[in-house]
Amino acid sequence: MTVSLGCTATFHYDAAMMAWCADRLWKSASARWLLPVLLGWLALVGVAQAELLTLIEARAHVTVNGATTTQNLQLPYHWDRFNKGQRGEAVFDLQFDLPERPTDPWGMYLPRLGNAYEIWLNGTLLQRQGDLLNYNGADYARVPRYVAISPALLQSSNLIRVAIRADVGRRGGLSALVLGPQEAVHAAYLHSYRWRGTGSLVVTAFSLVVGLVALSLWFTQPAPGLAGRTRRDPLYLFAALAELFWALAVSDVLIEKPPVPWPWWGVVQVVALGAWGVNMALFCVEVAGWGRRPAALWFGRWLGLLMAASVGMAAWALAGSQPLALTLWYGLLGITLLSFGVFFLGRALRQASAMHRVVAVALLVNVFFGLRDLYVFRINPTFAANTLLRYSSLLFGLALGYIVIARFRAASAQARDLLATLAVRVSQKEVELAESYRTLEILAREQERTAERTRILRDMHDGVGSHISSAIRQLQSGRVSQAELLQTLRDTLDQLKLSIDAMNLPPGDVTALLANLRYRLAPRLAASDIELQWGVDLLAPVQRLDAQAMRQLQFMVFEALSNVLQHARASVLRIEATMTPEGTRLRMVDNGCGFDATAPLRKGLQSMRERAQAIGATLSLHSAPGRTVVEILIS
Amino acid sequence: MAWRVLIVEDDPPMRAFFAASVLRSDQLSLVASVGTVAEARAWLDDPAHGVDVLLTDLGLPDGSGLEVIRHARLRQPSCEALVISMFGDEDNVLASIEAGALGYIHKDATPGDIAHSILEMKAGASPISPMIARRVLLKYLKLQSNQPLALSQRAEVAINKEADSGGRNLLSGREQEVLALIARGFSYAEIARLKAVTVHTVQTHIKNLYGKLAVHSKSEAVFEATRMGLLPSQG
Repeated sequence: MTVSLGCTATFHYDAAMMAWCADRLWKSASARWLLPVLLGWLALVGVAQAELLTLIEARAHVTVNGATTTQNLQLPYHWDRFNKGQRGEAVFDLQFDLPERPTDPWGMYLPRLGNAYEIWLNGTLLQRQGDLLNYNGADYARVPRYVAISPALLQSSNLIRVAIRADVGRRGGLSALVLGPQEAVHAAYLHSYRWRGTGSLVVTAFSLVVGLVALSLWFTQPAPGLAGRTRRDPLYLFAALAELFWALAVSDVLIEKPPVPWPWWGVVQVVALGAWGVNMALFCVEVAGWGRRPAALWFGRWLGLLMAASVGMAAWALAGSQPLALTLWYGLLGITLLSFGVFFLGRALRQASAMHRVVAVALLVNVFFGLRDLYVFRINPTFAANTLLRYSSLLFGLALGYIVIARFRAASAQARDLLATLAVRVSQKEVELAESYRTLEILAREQERTAERTRILRDMHDGVGSHISSAIRQLQSGRVSQAELLQTLRDTLDQLKLSIDAMNLPPGDVTALLANLRYRLAPRLAASDIELQWGVDLLAPVQRLDAQAMRQLQFMVFEALSNVLQHARASVLRIEATMTPEGTRLRMVDNGCGFDATAPLRKGLQSMRERAQAIGATLSLHSAPGRTVVEILIS
Repeated sequence: MAWRVLIVEDDPPMRAFFAASVLRSDQLSLVASVGTVAEARAWLDDPAHGVDVLLTDLGLPDGSGLEVIRHARLRQPSCEALVISMFGDEDNVLASIEAGALGYIHKDATPGDIAHSILEMKAGASPISPMIARRVLLKYLKLQSNQPLALSQRAEVAINKEADSGGRNLLSGREQEVLALIARGFSYAEIARLKAVTVHTVQTHIKNLYGKLAVHSKSEAVFEATRMGLLPSQG
């Protein structure tokens, strides 16, 4: 039973010609379609078709456990196939004749040999890699080899001797040898090396970059999750792990001296490959959006179990020389992943996101190449051939790139939409706000109007209305003199004027109020022969007096002045207004006959008291013959 | 020679009352009394007619007495106008002054007061209420302080261009003081005493003020028109 890793570089080389044809076919069919950019450089490879000598007949001396057998055989010789679970050495003798000795430098190209080797030509050591006795040491069987041959060494009959050391399950052995002029052979060698060496390096680097980018995406792009906790997107984590494990698996080709000895290094490779498959499957689960389903949970557990088993199985197979264990494990993993792949593809066909479909295409291609690799390496084991899965796996990295770009686009589109929505909502709010402001304003205006109407009605009632009705009463009584009636009517008009003036009085301006009163009463004062002394200071506005309070104050002062004019029989009236620490103080002082300030209040005085109370002013009356003081204190 | 008086008043009894009041005085003669704006215009348009005093009501059936005042100033520049006002309220009085009136008479004034007011005005005395004084003060203070410099400069330019007297159009310091005292309720006599000037000086200030208000209201219109682009800028 052959032990081989699906990802480990192997190479089939029956003939350079065949390889070339296969490569041409492969390139024309899929490589150009799959990875035109990444692998475009491979198209540069041209194999010169010169006369090449392919040596496949060999006489082999194979030493296993100290016992040597000699036989004639045909290369390639795949050690693991003929010596299952055994390690050992082999010496191959290959003879070839040359009709004429070449003059130009020759070269020898060995698609695969190892794990350690020596190459002799006609008794001269041409190349040695590794220690033939150090089992499980460094592995030099990973890349093709080229040996330059000086034409001086070549004779008409030549013997090439190749000695190898082969470890268990490490794909040791010897492939066919290709000889010929340096240019042609080196070109064939270079072509093969590009596929296996450089190609692997490119894939490793690509996977490493994609893995690290995915890892940083996972780390830096947390999405708000349940219960206010930020939840990192496992999609990125699985992609990152898959790519990193893939890088590890592929880079094996480039590592001749592994950090841990064989077969443990082999175990690492198996685990890396398994981890790649498992993480890729989990990645697909996330891509399909099944991450939260119970089935996905069970699937994840099963994959975890497989991973846990991988170490034991690989160790058993490689160290315990039981390749069947590894095959079994591969089988389980393969069936699992294949079934999942079929399910994933099936869902992609019916109803799925674009993300799902892109990954499905990548998966399909990978499954195709995976099956091809499986056939080449396990069903029909050859010492041969490259794994193509290595290259097709790049598609997963590209798919991840697509996902990231698509998500970024969706996020920015969402942000744009959000902004637009926000702008619309803000303008809506503005409209609503303006509307409610207008409503408020209308309400306020209405309230103001109502208050104004109330004030005017009250004004008409107290002022003009009461004066006109007393005029009517006077006329009805028939005992009224014309002068009295005239006075009443003049009072009426004065009240009306004062009422109109009050509308224009700046609220709180007591000075303006007094000045206006004086102006309105000037004709009457002039007619009364009372000397008016004006002691009105410039007063600061009393903030708390509104229009209505101003009118009340106007009434009070008017009433006080009317009393002096009508009843006091005074010769001097002094009006004072000053600012005192207690507030604005108005005083009307006359030298008339006075009145009994303690007697029950007359109607006029009664109303003055009420008004003073209404505006929160203090009204004081001091009256004695010769000096009467009416004081209004507005604090 | 008696001052020729034209009365414009739509209420016939009131018109008759004012006519009688005018006729009481030897120094006044009634040349016409009409009831509408149209009649007044027609009368004023007749070049044969001359008038020294226009006595007009504000609320007329076919328009405002303000139109009559403006028309009279146009046709008879020497004519001085008095407005008949029911209440002497500041809005109406201010509008009248700005239209060119030099005083106002209350409807409830006695016949003697009416003749007296007309003669006082012709002698150079115009009445002004504390309310009006306060309003005028506020208005000028606002004009002087609140307007941006460029605007007020332009306003001043416009005013100066309009002014036929060539004198300053904004209030002088003395005029402001007088106005402030009137606004506080002091009488002309008290102001004259406080400022150590004659009552006549105070009266002159007030009358000047009337003229300025009328001119200024016209300038304001010009300024506004200029600002709104209705007239070419003159700055």
